[in-house]
Amino acid sequence: MDDLYDIAIVGSGPAGVSAAVNAKIRNKKIILFGNNDLSSKLNLAPKIDNYLGYYNVTGRELTDKFIEHLNSMNIEISKERINNIYAMGDYFSLMVNDKEYKATTVILATGVLFGKPFKGEVEFLGRGVGYCATCDAPLYKGRPVAIIGYNKEAEEEANYVSELASIVYYIPTYKGEYELKENIEIIKDKPLEIVGDLQVKKLLLANGEIEVDGVFILRDNVAPEQLVPGLEVDENHIKVNRDMKTNIQGCYAAGDVVGKPYQYMKAMGEGQVAALNAVRYLDNLATNK
Amino acid sequence: MVKQITDATFNEETNSDVPVVVDFWAPWCGPCKMLGPLIEELASEMGDKVKFAKINVDENPITANTFRVASIPTLIIIKDGKVVDQSLGFKPKPALVAWIQKYL
Repeated sequence: MDDLYDIAIVGSGPAGVSAAVNAKIRNKKIILFGNNDLSSKLNLAPKIDNYLGYYNVTGRELTDKFIEHLNSMNIEISKERINNIYAMGDYFSLMVNDKEYKATTVILATGVLFGKPFKGEVEFLGRGVGYCATCDAPLYKGRPVAIIGYNKEAEEEANYVSELASIVYYIPTYKGEYELKENIEIIKDKPLEIVGDLQVKKLLLANGEIEVDGVFILRDNVAPEQLVPGLEVDENHIKVNRDMKTNIQGCYAAGDVVGKPYQYMKAMGEGQVAALNAVRYLDNLATNK
Repeated sequence: MVKQITDATFNEETNSDVPVVVDFWAPWCGPCKMLGPLIEELASEMGDKVKFAKINVDENPITANTFRVASIPTLIIIKDGKVVDQSLGFKPKPALVAWIQKYL
């Protein structure tokens, strides 16, 4: 397969970047997903004193050093946002909307930014609550739907859904100019709870309630077990062993997403361990062919 | 292999001595497309112990409604004419195998 990567690394914070560097040194075909400024958590840190060799440095300075390092090795960062990762057995399928990337192994270095679920969110998952409006929209043809949007990308999804649903209520958690179709009703209120019986019936807000059959919650970050169906997690963290292996063969995780302490050097060490184990797994596959 | 069933053929096709796994899918559903090949693999590996069928929810709304399918993909297991379990969303193959084996 032409476009089969050896390792796909999801997340460009210290863990992801460390994994990328180590995998590249071992001559693996990698793809690194993240953003140009690596990690907002890192580059906003005002002062770091426990990073060996760079004492009294700012997050911004460290970020710049990491970017220099990546550039020196010709490691690019792909800025596309992965919606889902499917473990297909022999490879992983990473989806960016309709576009598919394939990789033999995956290293998850997505950090810990996912918000707390709303009341009723977990109970009604699959019974009216969803995280992908474009995926489930046709099921709500002619029915009322609420979309809780956390960023601009959510507006696109809302526009698409409005072509099918009877009415779309858009509840933004951010300020700004909303590029939404005219038939979408914008509600500037705080969502509190999702209620219903066998299916979702209403969304309760701080100053009112709306009757809806579906509630889509479009956050910045996807919880790991939503991102990778079948992944074993422990509350907020992905379960790994000391080799940074998850319960899914070929899938590793590193950094804040696997647990505390939330520290750069720990994340980078784990990124390296994950990469080296992914490399070993790949080399074993090659010799056993 | 995995048989395509419809509202009209559902009852007949799911009336079986062995457990039946029904995959509710639709052509526009991303995760369904990912699950499809895994179900095909399972059908060839476990076909003697389990019957696998798939039903397009767009074309067969009656069955989808009867089983209150609210998100897809949804898999249901029918044993002795009764639904014994259902599974929502994509699952990797080892998880699917473990789930089905509970009902064998």
